[in-house]
Amino acid sequence: MTTQPYISVKELCKIYPNSDTFAVKDLSLDIEKGEIFGLLGPNGAGKTTTISMLCSLLSPTSGKIIIDKHDMAVEVNKIRKIVGVVPQDITLYPKLTARENLRFFGNMYGLKGKELREKIDFYLEEFGLINKRDKRVETFSGGMKRRINLLAGTLHNPDILFLDEPTVGIDVQSRLVIIDFLRKLNSENTTIVYTSHHMEEAQGLCTKIGIIDKGNIIATGSPQQLISSHTDCESLEDIFIKHTGRQLRD
Amino acid sequence: MILKFFASLRKEAILMLRDIAGLAILFIMPMALILIMTLLQDNTFKALEENKIDIILVNNDAGELGQAIEKGLDEADFFDITDSISDKQVTAKQAYSLVANGKYQMAIVIPADATSCIRNNVTKQIASQIPDLAEYIPIDSTVKSEKLDIQILFDPITKSSFKTSIQSALMQFTSKIESQLAFKIYGKIFKEHLEIDVKEPENFGSLITFSEKYATNEDSRIIPNSVQHNVPAWTLFAMFFIVIPLAGNIIKERESGSVLRLKTMPGSYSAVLLGKISIYFFIGLIQAALMISIGVFVLPLFGLPSLVLGSNFIALFAIVAAAALAAVGFGVLIGTIATTHEQASIFGAVSTVILAALGGIWVPTFIMPEIMRKISVMSPMNWALNGFYDIFLRDSDIYGIAPYIGLLILFFGISVAITYLYNKYNRSIS
Repeated sequence: MTTQPYISVKELCKIYPNSDTFAVKDLSLDIEKGEIFGLLGPNGAGKTTTISMLCSLLSPTSGKIIIDKHDMAVEVNKIRKIVGVVPQDITLYPKLTARENLRFFGNMYGLKGKELREKIDFYLEEFGLINKRDKRVETFSGGMKRRINLLAGTLHNPDILFLDEPTVGIDVQSRLVIIDFLRKLNSENTTIVYTSHHMEEAQGLCTKIGIIDKGNIIATGSPQQLISSHTDCESLEDIFIKHTGRQLRD
Repeated sequence: MILKFFASLRKEAILMLRDIAGLAILFIMPMALILIMTLLQDNTFKALEENKIDIILVNNDAGELGQAIEKGLDEADFFDITDSISDKQVTAKQAYSLVANGKYQMAIVIPADATSCIRNNVTKQIASQIPDLAEYIPIDSTVKSEKLDIQILFDPITKSSFKTSIQSALMQFTSKIESQLAFKIYGKIFKEHLEIDVKEPENFGSLITFSEKYATNEDSRIIPNSVQHNVPAWTLFAMFFIVIPLAGNIIKERESGSVLRLKTMPGSYSAVLLGKISIYFFIGLIQAALMISIGVFVLPLFGLPSLVLGSNFIALFAIVAAAALAAVGFGVLIGTIATTHEQASIFGAVSTVILAALGGIWVPTFIMPEIMRKISVMSPMNWALNGFYDIFLRDSDIYGIAPYIGLLILFFGISVAITYLYNKYNRSIS
């Protein structure tokens, strides 16, 4: 008897309306509970499309997604209850304060009252934003917005966290805070799936890597496995370049 | 679901309160519009209803007829009479010149021997009726005129309805004097030749009365005026203008990606949308309350009549609520279908202005051409405005305006249904 992976993706395809090319083509992958899975790829490789389908934002053209034994096509609401999403863009209300934003998104996940208030204050303290809690998000720096953006998707302690390039365009300090936070979440048994362009970051953080190009996974394994299986490569970046090439992908 | 709804409600309320420019558009702009448009259109509406006619009266007759005409015109409350300029009695020649120059629309010139002339004419008629006594009925031989000629001078642009009004009024006054004189002469004949005392009747000429009553359910005496039109009209315009900030809000939320995050959360997005609809619906109610208050309390300070609300406040609330729902439904629809903020702003503003123009907001439907009156019934603003008219002018109750409320709620329902289907279709193809 084989055990079903925590996240199982089978032959996933996506063609956008008014397009005749596959954004994702026959993509299959398995992610075990407690893993930090990094989906790496150049621009236009299909990372965001894949993660959008995994977090139920996009409907696949074909293929199957099973998360915690729930079929996405049938039990999407059960999946949404255990999933947290941190989109690539800052999806906050600029005119609301940090606390008002977190309170709103917390309420959306069913959190309320004292429990929510304490949680918000705890995380804002952790993220060094407690003194800015009553300032409007529109006045925040990029790094501060990223941290709040991350908190908004994790307040409800999800079993699985999907993050689309959570550290893009921010200062080193903010990036380190976010990476440490993700490690902490993972140590509390949260499965993390994230996309990134940052090879060094992924190598240090992820327990498993999938390199995606042209809508399909072209290499997968732990960072160590990948490096050891590519004797001509010294780092994850070398492997990435070897598989995806040096040409620009704008 | 309830938690999501209230969270959305709270979030929208905070965002709304922090959007000073948006609040100004929703509240200050319509307040200014109501004030300006009501003042601008006041004279036009008066001309449509009860504007008095400026006339010059040159009364050269010192007798009963001249006095009766003067008194009658004055009491008719339909004419503004001028009989002297710079404390000098206007002459017939001056009157002609003033009307010819267009300073007055008409003038009435009563000749000096008007009373004597009419008395002689009546006497002659009686003498011809009773030939046996004709020699005893005295006829004033000093009166030159055979026929009484009261001149009415009209400006060529005077409306024919005004001419008819003045002619009817004069006819009425002279007939009354003729009858009174006839009674007096008959009385004199009866006394002198039959030795019978004839008393002059009391309340002469008031045997028939005409009572005016508005054909309404109650004994209301509300006269449509510029306030009664402009206050509900611009209130509705403001309520439908909510389309722009509401559609903008939906698009902003979509563009910022917040909707994407919300759509990955458990439960339905409908609760969030319902919160949004509720807050804008509530704003619509506040707008209406504020605009109506301006009609009642502020416009009289500018010399305009106060808005008379009628007596059915439940009906008034119902039509306001239905109009607010229709406006919000329309806003949600535009916000969903438009792909950019610019699209929503332009389409929202233009469509609101078109619906307002068609609905009789700018120009009341009762002075529109027939074809436009037929088209106007397609505008939800027309349904709501008719509801207001019925409540303010005809004192209708909620049953009387039920068809308009039904149409407005149907409009809301259709807008929301299209929004739902559009979202569902979009999700299925994305």
